[in-house]
Amino acid sequence: MTTPVLEARDVSMVFGGLKALKGVTLTLEEGKIVGLIGPNGAGKTTFFNCLTGLYTPTTGQVLLKGNTLPGDPAKVTDAGVARTFQNIRLFPSMTVLENVLVGRHVRMKQGPLASLFHGPAYHRGEKAARERSRELLEFVGLRGPDDELSRNLPYGDQRRLEIARALATDPAVLLLDEPTAGMNPQETEATQQLIFRIRETGVSVVVIEHDIKFIFGLCDSVSVLVQGELLVEGSPEVVRADPRVVEAYLGKPPEEVELDIEAAKGEQA
Amino acid sequence: MSTVDTTSGKRSALAPFAKPLAAVGGVLAIVAALLPWVTFTLNDGNWPDKSTLQFFDAPFAVTGFRWHLLLLGVLILVAAFAPIPSRGRVVRALGWGVAVVSFINGAYITAKGGGLGAITALDGATAFGSVAGLVAGVLTILAGYGYGITPVGEWKFKPPTPVAYLVLLVSFAGVLLAVAAMLTTGGVGTSNPYAGAIFLSFLGFAGGVLGALSGVGFIRWLSVLSEEHRVFSVIVLAACALLLPFTDAGNEYWMTVAANIGIYAATAIGLNIVVGLAGLLDLGYVAFMGIGALVAANFSGAAAANFGIELPFPVAAVIAAVVAGIFGAIVGSPTLRVRGDYLAIVTLAFGEIFTRSAQNDIGGMTNGSNAIPGIPALSLFGKEFNRELSIGAVKLPAGVLYYILIVLLVAATMAVFANLKFSRIGRAWIAIREDEDAARAMGIRTGQAKILAFLIGATLAGLAGAVFAHKNATVSYESFKFLESITLLAAVILGGMGSIPGAVLGASLLFVLPEKLRDFEEFRLMIFGLALILIMRFRPQGLIPDRHRRAELADEDVGGAPVDEVHAASKEAKA
Repeated sequence: MTTPVLEARDVSMVFGGLKALKGVTLTLEEGKIVGLIGPNGAGKTTFFNCLTGLYTPTTGQVLLKGNTLPGDPAKVTDAGVARTFQNIRLFPSMTVLENVLVGRHVRMKQGPLASLFHGPAYHRGEKAARERSRELLEFVGLRGPDDELSRNLPYGDQRRLEIARALATDPAVLLLDEPTAGMNPQETEATQQLIFRIRETGVSVVVIEHDIKFIFGLCDSVSVLVQGELLVEGSPEVVRADPRVVEAYLGKPPEEVELDIEAAKGEQA
Repeated sequence: MSTVDTTSGKRSALAPFAKPLAAVGGVLAIVAALLPWVTFTLNDGNWPDKSTLQFFDAPFAVTGFRWHLLLLGVLILVAAFAPIPSRGRVVRALGWGVAVVSFINGAYITAKGGGLGAITALDGATAFGSVAGLVAGVLTILAGYGYGITPVGEWKFKPPTPVAYLVLLVSFAGVLLAVAAMLTTGGVGTSNPYAGAIFLSFLGFAGGVLGALSGVGFIRWLSVLSEEHRVFSVIVLAACALLLPFTDAGNEYWMTVAANIGIYAATAIGLNIVVGLAGLLDLGYVAFMGIGALVAANFSGAAAANFGIELPFPVAAVIAAVVAGIFGAIVGSPTLRVRGDYLAIVTLAFGEIFTRSAQNDIGGMTNGSNAIPGIPALSLFGKEFNRELSIGAVKLPAGVLYYILIVLLVAATMAVFANLKFSRIGRAWIAIREDEDAARAMGIRTGQAKILAFLIGATLAGLAGAVFAHKNATVSYESFKFLESITLLAAVILGGMGSIPGAVLGASLLFVLPEKLRDFEEFRLMIFGLALILIMRFRPQGLIPDRHRRAELADEDVGGAPVDEVHAASKEAKA
């Protein structure tokens, strides 16, 4: 069996008295798309923050290609895990191109001296970074002028720019936190196609999303997170058919979902 | 065609009257320039530029503020009838110019002449120049609003290279002359009883013209042009700066002032890296300049120096810069743990520690309140920098060599700033300023980057401090107090955060204005403070904002009329 590209083993996260994550395990095989769904407050974003080093898990560990990830977002990105944010977090007063160039930061060799004196090496590196960044803008479908400030982009383009910026770090794994939030059906469809194309370039993807249809149409495997625990994991067909998920997502009022979770806990115990 | 170009949607009720208002305003401004302004000779001597009734002896010898008014009047008429973009902005700016010039001269004459008798029909004589000018200004401003404040014009015209060079050359030469005029109008220091009025009036005129040029889109076009021909522009600009000693400002007094401005401008650019690029508020920055100055002073061979060794200036300057840089890194290290307001307090404390330590002569390095006097002037080929310089028949004022050295220093710090800003590390700093967590998620080692910002900023300050020590011959802790840090920070914010010309302009304003406002004696600092408040109210993004910041803070209505508000500020402050 090959080593999974990203593996979270038994990750727990405790904030004071609040157990946000309780022993979550997730495996991402190379070239796959894994979906992470669950009601609000289930701990999806907390889990992402553990994967990217923003939080250090209280227990458990995160492995990238079999190596433990360091507990620092900058080093995690350097190692090959890139992410986008649930609330878009571009650098609003930088241009579109500059945003992507910031993503290139970890892959550029330019040291302080080259930055200071702008020698031939600086110009080569800068040119290569710009070319790569423009390619990525083209790839995600941003064809407008790249000297526009990112704050002025329409909402959907800002989401795409955030993906381009994350891809600029040449990641092995891309973590997308609600990439289609607030999008219309056409934009959602385009995002789905984009994620497929990202997978084709050899990047494995983890997606958090509330849009169940989108997730089931996209992912090779889906994990359902409820109240900090992994409820179900499996192929979209399996998850779709699972009665607990159906209940959680297709019409039962929240109180009854809670009851079901209690029941599920009972079963596991 | 007067109202056709009103694209802002809501039409002003003044729209139908815009053209007649502008025409009347322009003509009235010209008339005002030719009317007498004072009915009798004031106690402090003639109001300058033939403003009394004696003016009728020689009506064609128009100079000074009357010449400015005449020019503004002609420009208003041109703007009203020539086909130009964003006419409203242009006319409004010119109107402000007329109003400010008239108001300042009129108010001054009234105040100094002991009441309205100076300008009205007492004694059977009339001198309604200022009143006519003020009315002309107000009418023209109204005409500007009548035309509608449309967005600043954008010029697509791309001239061939030789023409572009010529335009740049002429424009920068104009800047040089304007700077020289701004320094010298009203005379040196307090030699002229009306110096303050003459200077403020000139600012009103310059502001009106600049506002009009900016409104019509010329300034934006010029900046695009200079960016395209960056190398040429830099060379011409440096040459212009080096030519200042050959203008009217080429005397010892202004060479000294300009050299001091240069030292603070270089320091402000260093601070701009920390505050403007990396977004780290530093309230104790002048301490690094102090450290540089102390190191250079102690290695200078002065009798009061505390090290027995005398090092040549370049070596001492490098050591000063390195030591300051090390302290910068030390002070920067808490930035790993504290952010925002808390960081400001840490740096404030560091600045205070430095001042108190220097005051108490800690380590026997600073001589405490005795300072380190008698630092020898720099010399090159046996030529001392504080002496006059004569090359062949050309005689240059004392201090010109310091001025040249400091121009080179400012140019070097500008180059450092510009190169860093457009590099991997510069983008990292800006990203940290914008969103630190997102920057970390992009793989930026934010801790290292922030310490590097402090280190480089402090190094530049240390270098400027080394020149400061020799230039002023004395290094005392009193030159590096909290107020100096705040003034530097104000220079950065006033000029526009993250912008190079902004830092230079900010430093110039903060050090020239107090000199020029000496005329107001005890009200000097009050007016100065009010001017700063008003600039920040109307230009929160700074006078020459960085492109990024401009977008962030620009208020659409105020954005296009840049400099005249400043003068409105001085005007209101005076009232």
